[in-house]
Amino acid sequence: MPGEYDVEFVERGDREARFLVRGATPAFANGIRRAMVADVPTMAIDEVRFIENSSVMFDEQLALRLGLVPLTTPPEGEFVEDDVVTLSLDVSGPATAYSRDLVSGDALVTPAEENVPIIELKEGQRLEVEADARIERGQTHAKHQGGVAVGYRHLQRVEVVGDLEEFEDEESRIVRGVIEDEGELLNAEEFDNDLAKRYPGKEVRVEDVPDAFVFHVETDGSFTVEELVTRAADSIEARADELEEAVQL
Amino acid sequence: MAYKCSRCKRDVELDEYGGVRCPYCGHRVLLKERSRDVKEVAVE
Amino acid sequence: MMVPVRCFTCGSVVGEHWEEFEERAKEGDEDPEAVLDELGVDRYCCRRMLVSHTDLVDVVSPYQ
Repeated sequence: MPGEYDVEFVERGDREARFLVRGATPAFANGIRRAMVADVPTMAIDEVRFIENSSVMFDEQLALRLGLVPLTTPPEGEFVEDDVVTLSLDVSGPATAYSRDLVSGDALVTPAEENVPIIELKEGQRLEVEADARIERGQTHAKHQGGVAVGYRHLQRVEVVGDLEEFEDEESRIVRGVIEDEGELLNAEEFDNDLAKRYPGKEVRVEDVPDAFVFHVETDGSFTVEELVTRAADSIEARADELEEAVQL
Repeated sequence: MAYKCSRCKRDVELDEYGGVRCPYCGHRVLLKERSRDVKEVAVE
Repeated sequence: MMVPVRCFTCGSVVGEHWEEFEERAKEGDEDPEAVLDELGVDRYCCRRMLVSHTDLVDVVSPYQ
């Protein structure tokens, strides 16, 4: 097991980030990725009670739409499995019911996205529902996935090895992800993913840096990227502890 | 059983003898109204 | 019928961008590509959700 991890952010935002991890094995990198997708619990609507629905969509269709609306997930330990937060929605037409119309019974659990249209209501139509949100892991249903489009790539090191011959045609050299150039980290999108544009007239060599992975993480709004990654790491630790305990004599 | 006539929009009660016909306008197309119960749906 | 809340493929929330996209690119005369870029809908899986969507509520509502 390698000793120290080194984490460096390439791009950092609340909902989307790119960061480099050095000193991780491919297995660990994948473990983190999988934990982010399936193992970090998030809040989502799980059961809906329809008091009135005269809209053009069926109850089940609307229930699914409500379930997919991301809800803010409270700090760890605030909620345990089977705890329920009730949200209600009451909209009369002509109007559109949005996710922001969901009134939550708990200030910690509110719609993370305000402008998601649920259903357009015409004159005389009305939607009144009560919904129960529960905390669950991404394994059970995609609506509980906190991480969206989580992935990683090897860090690539680019070295200039010489000049191109004088009359040689310049061919484009496409790379994706993040490259390392003399210790500087660069997103390949900055030079249009084409090394020939960044090093005109040069011959370059690209190689993967061993045990260095660039993660791209996006969240659905349940929490920040930072929260997602730390919770994923915690979940791996909890599993490791559980295993250690289980195999002890 | 509670229905609604699709032509005259009036509420219609059906029994087993009268057949399917609106007693007010004679229309033979009746719509079943949604029950007033609260319906519980699990998100799947 | 209504815009999907999330992208079928990656699960990112795309429903919130629909109204602006419809107003600017479908009803307006802006370039859909530029509007999607501006809205931050980057992946092609999410882009097709908005580009290929048609609202059907107005079509079915007379038959209630």
